[in-house]
Amino acid sequence: MKRIVLLSVLIASMLLSACASQAKQGPVTISFMAWGDPEELAVWQQIVDDFQAANPNIKVNVEVSDWDSYWTKLKTLLAANTPPDVFAMDAPLYLDYQSRGVLLNIQPYIDKTPGFLDGFYPVTLEAYKLPDGYYGLPRDFQTVVLYYNIDMFNAAGIAYPTVDWTYDDFRTAAKSLTIDKNGDGTIDQWGFTSDLWDMELFWSEAIWSWGGEVINADHTQTLVGEPIAREAWQFMYDLMFTDKSMPDTNTSGQYGGDLFQAGIAAMTTIGHWAVPGYATVEFKWDVAPMPISPSGGRATSVNSAGFVVAKDSKYPDASWEFIKYCLSQTGQARLTELGLAIPVLESVANSPVFLEQTMVNINQQVFLDSLAFARMKPVFKGYDEWASTIGDGMAPIWLGEADLNTTLDTVVPEADAVLAKNK
Amino acid sequence: MEYGLKPLGKERFWLLLLLAPTIIGLILGAFGSILATIVLSFMRWDLLSKPVWAGLENYTALFTNEKFYIALTNTIKFSAMYVPGVVIISMFVAILLNRKIRGITIFRTIYFLPCVTSAVATALIWNMIYGKDTGILNYFIQSLGGKPICWLCTNNAMLSVVIVNIWGAIGEGMIIFLAGLTAIPREYYEAAKVDGANGAHQFFRITIPLVTPSIFFVTLISTINAFQAYDYIYMLTRRSQGDSSVPVVVFSIYRNAWNFFNYGGASAQAIELAIIVIALMAIYFWMEKRYVVYE
Repeated sequence: MKRIVLLSVLIASMLLSACASQAKQGPVTISFMAWGDPEELAVWQQIVDDFQAANPNIKVNVEVSDWDSYWTKLKTLLAANTPPDVFAMDAPLYLDYQSRGVLLNIQPYIDKTPGFLDGFYPVTLEAYKLPDGYYGLPRDFQTVVLYYNIDMFNAAGIAYPTVDWTYDDFRTAAKSLTIDKNGDGTIDQWGFTSDLWDMELFWSEAIWSWGGEVINADHTQTLVGEPIAREAWQFMYDLMFTDKSMPDTNTSGQYGGDLFQAGIAAMTTIGHWAVPGYATVEFKWDVAPMPISPSGGRATSVNSAGFVVAKDSKYPDASWEFIKYCLSQTGQARLTELGLAIPVLESVANSPVFLEQTMVNINQQVFLDSLAFARMKPVFKGYDEWASTIGDGMAPIWLGEADLNTTLDTVVPEADAVLAKNK
Repeated sequence: MEYGLKPLGKERFWLLLLLAPTIIGLILGAFGSILATIVLSFMRWDLLSKPVWAGLENYTALFTNEKFYIALTNTIKFSAMYVPGVVIISMFVAILLNRKIRGITIFRTIYFLPCVTSAVATALIWNMIYGKDTGILNYFIQSLGGKPICWLCTNNAMLSVVIVNIWGAIGEGMIIFLAGLTAIPREYYEAAKVDGANGAHQFFRITIPLVTPSIFFVTLISTINAFQAYDYIYMLTRRSQGDSSVPVVVFSIYRNAWNFFNYGGASAQAIELAIIVIALMAIYFWMEKRYVVYE
C-alpha cells in the first residue's frame, strides 16, 4: 500500500515538473482545430510542417473534425476552459462567439505588423471588423456561382449560360432540361437543384437581385416577407411547383446526396467548396455567374471562413505567428491547393495557383468576378437560431405541404422574436 | 438469504479497488450529469459566458414554447405506437422461434441482427427502401398495381419511423420473451392437454399469464427507449442544417443546447422528459403488483 502511494506521488511530481518546464521555455505547443474532411487534415498538416520548419520554437497540434462535430467539440472545450489556441470560424457565427467573450482581440498584433491587411479582399474583412478591432481574420472565402452540366446542355441543344443570362433565361433552360427519359411519369433529369433551407445557396441571392433585403442593417427586423422579397420567393416556388423543373425536398432527399454531382440535375448554385467533389464526376461541367433578375439586378453571396484565437490561450504570441503564416503568400498558396475555397489575398487569387487548378479545368475567374456584385452573408449575434427559425419554418413549403404566403406571414414574426431575444 | 462468498479482510480492499472504476464512473458520469442537468435547468446559460440564476424561467417558458409542445406531442404519439408494437410483435416472434426446428439459430440471429448494427447505417438503407420514386418498397407496391406512397413525407413520416424503430427493437424484446417462454415448465402444457385444452386455451391460460413478467419488462424498457428515441428518427427525417420533419423531445433538447446556445432551456426539457418517464414507471410498477404473475 505504502509503495503505491509513494509511486503515485513520484509520477505526479514528474508530470507536474514536466508541465512547469514547458511553460517556461520553448518550444511551445499550440493546438489548432478546424472543420473539414479527412483529406483536409493532410493539407493542414503540410502547412503546419512548413510552419514548424520556419519556426522551430512552436509546435502545432492540428485536429480536423466534420462540420457538425466540430461545433459541438469546440463549444465543449470552450465551456471546459480548455479551448484550442487557434480555431476555425464561420463568419456568420463569429458574433455568437465574440459577443460571449471567448475570442481574443488580435488588433494589437495586426498593429505590430504594418500593412498586414493590405493585400486582402476588403469585403472578406468586413465580417470580422468591430469597433474595437479584429477578433478574427478571414482565411478564405466563397462566392456562389451557377454550375451547369455541359453534357446535358449539349444533349438538349441549349446554349450555355452566359454573363447576360437573366432569371427568365435560366427558368426556360431549366424547364427544357427537365426530362422524363423513360416516359413512366416520374422525372429522371431535373433542370435545377438547390437546397432552400440556408440562404447562402440560392434564396438570399434571389432576394437581393430582385432588389429586396434579407434583414435590416442593425439586425432588428427580418425582411424576407416584404413584397419585393415575395416576388423572388414566388419565382423559386414556380420553379418547383409550376414548372416542376426543380425537385422538392422529398424528391431530392431520396437520392441521399448532391443531385448535380449525381448527374441527375443539370444546374445548381453553390460555392467553391463543391469543386473538389464535382471534379471526380464523369460528365463535363463549368461555371457561370448568377443570372440577372427581371428588375435588372444581379447579386450573389460571399461568405468566409476565418481564424480566431481563444481569449484564454496561454500562447497568444505563438498563435498569432501561426495565423500570420497561414495568411502569408506561402500559406495561402498551400490552402488554395485544397481547391475548396478562394484565397483572401488578391495576389494569390489572381495567380495560377488559383486560376489554373489542376483537379478540374473550369472558368475559375467567374468566382473572382462575382465579387463585383457579391453581398456579405449577414453576421450577427443569434444568427444560428434566426437562420434555423426561417429554414425550419419555410421547410414545409419546399416539401409541398404549405402555402408560400401564409407561411411567410408566420415565419417573419417568429424570426423577429429571435432577433429581439438576442439583442 | 445471502449468496456467494463474503469478502474478508484484505480482500475487501481489492474488492473496493476493482469496483472503483465503475463506481467512480457512475458517480461522475451518471449522477454527476443528472445533478448538473437539474442545476442548469434553473440557470440561464449559453455555455460560453457565466451561468446566471433564472429560477423557474426555463420551466415556465416551456408552457408557451410551441416547438417544445410539437416535439412533446410527437414523442407521445411515437411512444403510443412504438411500445405496443414492440411488445406484441416481439412476443409473437419469440413464440414462433420457441420451438425445435432446423436452423432455428439462424432465424434468431436474423431477428437479433438489427440490435447489433449501427443505427445510422441501417437508417440510410431504410431511406433507400422508403424512397418515393426510387425506393424498393414503392417498386413492389407499383408492381402489384398500387400507387406509390411518399413514405417519408411529413404526413406519413411518423408511421414510417415507428416501423423502422420497431424493426430495430424486435431482437431485444424477442430475447427477453424467449427467456420467459423457456422458463415455463413443459408439464403445464402437458397437464392442460390431458385436460383437453386446445392451442388457444393453452396460449391464453398458460403462456400469457406466465410471460407477464417478460411483458412487464419489455414494456418498461421500450417505454424508456421510446422517450429517448433519436437516431433512426433523426436519420430518416432530417432536413438541412440539423432540422427534422418529425422533431421529438430529444431532438429539441439537442437543438436548443448545441445550436441555439440555450443550455438552461435544454436542461429543463430534459428534466421534464425524465419526470414524464418516472411518472410512467410509477404507473407501471403499480400495475405490476396487480397484474404480473410470478410463479
